[in-house]
Amino acid sequence: MAEPFMNTPPKPERLGAMTEENLKAAFAGESQASQKYLAFAVRAGEEGYPNVARLFAAVAFAESAHARNHLNVMGGIGSTADNLKAAFGGESFEISEMYPAYSAVAKMQGNAEAVTSIRYALAAEKDHQAIYEATGKKVVGGADLDATPVRVCPVCGHTIVGEAPDECPVCGTAGQFFRSF
Amino acid sequence: MPEMSEEYVKRLPKSEELNAMTEQSLRAAFAGESQAAEKYVVFAAQAEEEGLPNIAKLFAAISFAETRHARNHWRVLGGIGKTADNLQTAFAGESFEIEEMYPAYAEIAKLQANKEASRSIRYALKAEEDHKRMYAEARQAALRGKDIADQPVSVCTICGHTVIGDLPDKCPVCAAAKEYYRTF
Repeated sequence: MAEPFMNTPPKPERLGAMTEENLKAAFAGESQASQKYLAFAVRAGEEGYPNVARLFAAVAFAESAHARNHLNVMGGIGSTADNLKAAFGGESFEISEMYPAYSAVAKMQGNAEAVTSIRYALAAEKDHQAIYEATGKKVVGGADLDATPVRVCPVCGHTIVGEAPDECPVCGTAGQFFRSF
Repeated sequence: MPEMSEEYVKRLPKSEELNAMTEQSLRAAFAGESQAAEKYVVFAAQAEEEGLPNIAKLFAAISFAETRHARNHWRVLGGIGKTADNLQTAFAGESFEIEEMYPAYAEIAKLQANKEASRSIRYALKAEEDHKRMYAEARQAALRGKDIADQPVSVCTICGHTVIGDLPDKCPVCAAAKEYYRTF
């Protein structure tokens, strides 16, 4: 988990406005490239190209390193208490603004699969918001979470602290498929 | 592998013909989820350093959840094709970053004397050149219906330098020792 990278990656600095804008765009680009390559890796595995799948997975990891570097230069990595607050803020925006608006548009346009993809995400962001809020309170009190496993539905992203349900309440996937962290 | 089972795939949102505004929404959501996933991975490493392993685990779990959303949106957008096409998409993305995006960003960071930004951009640009070459070769193989050779692919955890085969003693881009590489 803890990568031994923290000694030499690029550091936070005071940025010119245009450079900051560019790093934001580069962070967005690297993050999306990484996710695309992970999806491409799965597809390559399905098509019987295990080594191409491995190449995609490796390059996805490289893009993650770039994303992390850009984020760090922008001062985007704070203390865990601050990071939990930032995470809570991001989830709150998605729940109260972004996904309801996207969902309304997708429904109006009759794009059923888009509605499903948005519904899965919105439901999980609500889990995340609640978990981040509770965790933030603990950290401000100087405590870690307890060691209860966190389980995630690999189809819709539904997230729970504790035992997996028999079946995902959001998308119906069997609990045995949940990934445990 | 559960990701390929019918039971699993039937629940995933599918590619569909999208109206323009819904497509725009999903593209923005894909961007947001991808960035959240990367941030949470970094926040996990930070929590680990602060001696908070369970919060680290929580961030890792939620990062994984965000990757599921990104993958779902990307599927609906029709972004996942056959591997030969995916390699072409990947090649084109790397080419754009090498020829347009990072050179422009590097110029501006230099003009503004932002040294750390310049370094972050240089690290990325160097690695994208490796990626572009590897994707081009892999595409040639996939077009003939062949996989690439079964060799380790290693990535520098500092700068993203990517190498197929033996590791260098130290990273030619950022000089990190070879222990800093992760092998796939």
